[in-house]
Amino acid sequence: MTTPQIDSARIAEVAQPVVEDGRGRETVFDVKNLAVSYSGNVALEDVTLDVRKNFVTAFIGPSGCGKSTFIRCFNRMNDLIPGAVVDGKVLYHGRDLYGSGVDPVEVRRRIGMVFQKPNPFPKSIYDNIAFGPRVLGMKRDLDARVERSLRQAALWDEVKDRLKDNALGLSGGQQQRLCIARAMAVEPDVILMDEPASALDPISTSRIEDLIHELKQQFTIVIVTHNMQQAARVADMTAFFSVEVREDGTGRHGILVEHAPTTKIFTNPSDKRTEDYVTGRFG
Amino acid sequence: MARVEYQASLDALEASLQEQGEVVMRAVRGAINAMQAQDVELCDEVIAFDDEIDVRYHRIEKSIEELLAQQAPVATDLRIVLAVLHNSIHLERIGDQSVTIAKLTKLSADLETRHDLVEGLGEMGDRAEHMVRVALDSFADRDIEEARALVELDELIDRTNRRVVDQVLQMAAAPGQQEWGMRMIVVARCIERIGDNAVDIGEQTAFVVTGEFSEFTDASH
Repeated sequence: MTTPQIDSARIAEVAQPVVEDGRGRETVFDVKNLAVSYSGNVALEDVTLDVRKNFVTAFIGPSGCGKSTFIRCFNRMNDLIPGAVVDGKVLYHGRDLYGSGVDPVEVRRRIGMVFQKPNPFPKSIYDNIAFGPRVLGMKRDLDARVERSLRQAALWDEVKDRLKDNALGLSGGQQQRLCIARAMAVEPDVILMDEPASALDPISTSRIEDLIHELKQQFTIVIVTHNMQQAARVADMTAFFSVEVREDGTGRHGILVEHAPTTKIFTNPSDKRTEDYVTGRFG
Repeated sequence: MARVEYQASLDALEASLQEQGEVVMRAVRGAINAMQAQDVELCDEVIAFDDEIDVRYHRIEKSIEELLAQQAPVATDLRIVLAVLHNSIHLERIGDQSVTIAKLTKLSADLETRHDLVEGLGEMGDRAEHMVRVALDSFADRDIEEARALVELDELIDRTNRRVVDQVLQMAAAPGQQEWGMRMIVVARCIERIGDNAVDIGEQTAFVVTGEFSEFTDASH
């Protein structure tokens, strides 16, 4: 009888599911030593992280950890807050988003955003989608663009017969998908989502999550969520932010604790603080 | 500490596993004693006792189903839950091996035995029982070193197993002893499997602590 020559290390390697960490994918955002303060109060300090193309990257963490502040840096939404100062670098495809000569309007066309509360314009469904393209002069084949956007947002079949109806008549979940369609209508590269499903019921939430899976084929998605299971379900990479109390007693600010493939964060995180948060032992 | 109920459920789950382990060790001890003494009555007790083990296994399985559904454990908690489920199955199988030893002993009760072989099997049984103890303690203490030590203990059982097989082969010519010898080869195999299951439990200890699963030894051992 021959002894089977099986290398146990090799078996383990073959049996391990492949976890992609994004290396080899194009870097969309390269954030270096980012700090944000509001009127001199530090909200977020020393964040270095990259976001890869066609990945869903989730930001999780307790209230006040700066995750919403951080996501707003990706399309310069903090510019709109008086007293907000952003230090460090946010490179978008290698170009400094905060460099001189960068037009914030163009930034927000390429990097769309969806917010926690659906915020459709008090206009028709059609006009909600057509608004951005019209403003940006993308007026050719507008009907086709509206249909494509609504299809991408998995809303077309539900609204195709009432495009002229007021968007405020849609359900909360439909309104949120309309906002996603509206963001996509201007052909962005990235979609930022700040707790996009936290105001929705479970069925609408699962529709949004399915949509995120579909959309990442075409877009790069960054999502802030309070719902850890949502991050576990939708994200390829997860970044955990926490709150650090300053030693000099001047307050507290957000820090990035760990950024890793989502499976790693939820099965074997490297940092004790991440472990405590994801297992619910935080606080 | 947040999630008090959840932590209590996890603690209770681990306690249930240790309790199942204690019950299984009684089954192993009973089977080995019965084999050594050719005690048919004790064999019947060991066989009937298996229901106690199965009930505990099913309780643990049910608790885990509820815990997964209600608490969605992640990270170390998830690894503990998965490891407890694996370990509970390993313990249940150790119980099954004990039943097989008891059944084979019953079938051989009227046959002529050989003292040196019974002694060898007894030695294997002692080692197997010790290994189950080490496996359970290493899991409770999250002690990888102790868990890894099971590999060497297992090697000792394997060695005795090979010696028993050689002795039985030498008995092949002795009339009247072949049947008993053949049955005892299977008993030796059952005890050897108990050692393997103890190593499996040790591997789960390493999985819980490190987050990476790996076999302590490969198939050629």
